Amino acid sequence: MAWYNTSGNAWDTVISSRVRLARNLNGYPFASRMNEEQAHAIIAKVGAPLESSGFKKIDFAELSPVMATSYVEKHFVSPQFATLQTPHVLFLQEQSGSAVMAGEEDHLRIQSILPGLALEEAYKNASRIEKRLDEDFDFAYSERLGYLTHCPTNLGTGMRASVMMFLPALTRGGYMESLAVQLSKIGLTVRGLFGEGSGAAGGMYQISNQITLGISEEEILRKLSEAIQQITDSEEKARKAITGDTLDRLTDRIKRAEGTLKYAYMMTSSEFIKLFADVRFGIALGLVTDISYEELGNLLVEAMPATLTLGAEIPPKTEAARDILRAAKIRDFLQRKEP
Amino acid sequence: MLCEKCKKRTATVFYNENINGKTQSYSLCGDCAAKLREQGDLQDITSMMDSFAAPFSALQTDLFGGFFGMPMMKAVSAEKKCPSCGCRYSDISKSGRVGCPICYDTFGEELSRTIQSVHGTTAHVGSVPSRHRALQARAEKMKALKQEIQEAIEKEDYESAARLRDEIRKLEADKTEQEGA
Ligand SMILES: [Zn+2]
Ligand SMILES: [Zn+2]
Repeated sequence: MAWYNTSGNAWDTVISSRVRLARNLNGYPFASRMNEEQAHAIIAKVGAPLESSGFKKIDFAELSPVMATSYVEKHFVSPQFATLQTPHVLFLQEQSGSAVMAGEEDHLRIQSILPGLALEEAYKNASRIEKRLDEDFDFAYSERLGYLTHCPTNLGTGMRASVMMFLPALTRGGYMESLAVQLSKIGLTVRGLFGEGSGAAGGMYQISNQITLGISEEEILRKLSEAIQQITDSEEKARKAITGDTLDRLTDRIKRAEGTLKYAYMMTSSEFIKLFADVRFGIALGLVTDISYEELGNLLVEAMPATLTLGAEIPPKTEAARDILRAAKIRDFLQRKEP
Repeated sequence: MLCEKCKKRTATVFYNENINGKTQSYSLCGDCAAKLREQGDLQDITSMMDSFAAPFSALQTDLFGGFFGMPMMKAVSAEKKCPSCGCRYSDISKSGRVGCPICYDTFGEELSRTIQSVHGTTAHVGSVPSRHRALQARAEKMKALKQEIQEAIEKEDYESAARLRDEIRKLEADKTEQEGA
């Protein structure tokens, strides 16, 4: 069970919640000035307590690019992490959605990712891991600047809390630009996900705190939660405002998307994202009833290129073969319950 | 792995393309991938988290890059090096990354401009590592004891003063022991 296929709070508008803490060990330079020996030493040091508390060690130096990218698609590591040339290891507790990246931009990136709106719980999870490591290690810290990080944008709490939101109605209404401006005024950042150019195709956005210094962890969570509540209200309102001809046209589009997902023979990932968003919107509006959020959510990872390739008996060699495989995977997931 | 296109930034986007039956794979950085995507040359993105072509992320990056690039700051400390990692301020402003924890002391003044611009403040509130909490608690206790001993001496209560003096010595010994550890 994971963030993408387990039901969570506020699933109509929120896909997942994540909290990440950046920490560095005293006595070592930051990543860009560290030699290999030092990088290995840090990994070995933090590995001991993590492995004994049930984390699985995954050494990315030993992974194929496809395997590494699959962890990116599951949001357990950042895209940067997957491609580092320096020693980097993921400590993962897949069941609880907890992960520690060792050797990323900061020595440690401790994160918890959970389905739906669950910021408090994600913070508790990340914080519990952090406290365990704090017992054994001396984190780089100054009274004035808080936790010291490779990039000054993460100083202070070193905490980035983010919520992946699903906002198809606000996107269609063209409200996202002005929402982004408003949010930036209160120290929050909006980033389009799965987008090509406009970021709008999937109607999915990551909303996170921009500032980490001069604001406590609790305050970051409170501010973000308040914003999420307001955005959710606006999205709900925008959804209710779709009526008449507009609703008919939308219904047609959603039904066609459902049909295409269920019966297409080939599908690119960008087409998939568009259809995914339409069908997910359909579930929220009660127009699609025989597909659940959980079934659809699975595809957000399973139909992505690397994970798709990994799951195949014969890895696809060409783009076309991959698109055939993707369509088959989607059919398989969505038609299971059909008579 | 470096980006195949610009050969400058780290590649974060991996992409397979099929042209006339021939499969080609590319490794690109976020910027180059975004450019290709705009031109319509990239359609199937391998890494889904890396959709950095998003409209709003650009703002943040530009903002930050601008703060670091302050030429005035460079001139002030062009020669100074961090005693711990050897980093210069020009290295920091070029990369946007600080060399080591000690750099924040070494370049405290120079960095405070950047930090102020990014966060709107330079003062941490929030959680504290346990080791620092212990040090803080000890410092506060020490302050209180010194106050008490002062008062005891003023009141000519030498018995209490002697007891307090022993307590202070013990606290100091603990501190030395812990810092040495
Ligand atoms: Zn490039
Ligand atoms: Zn330094």
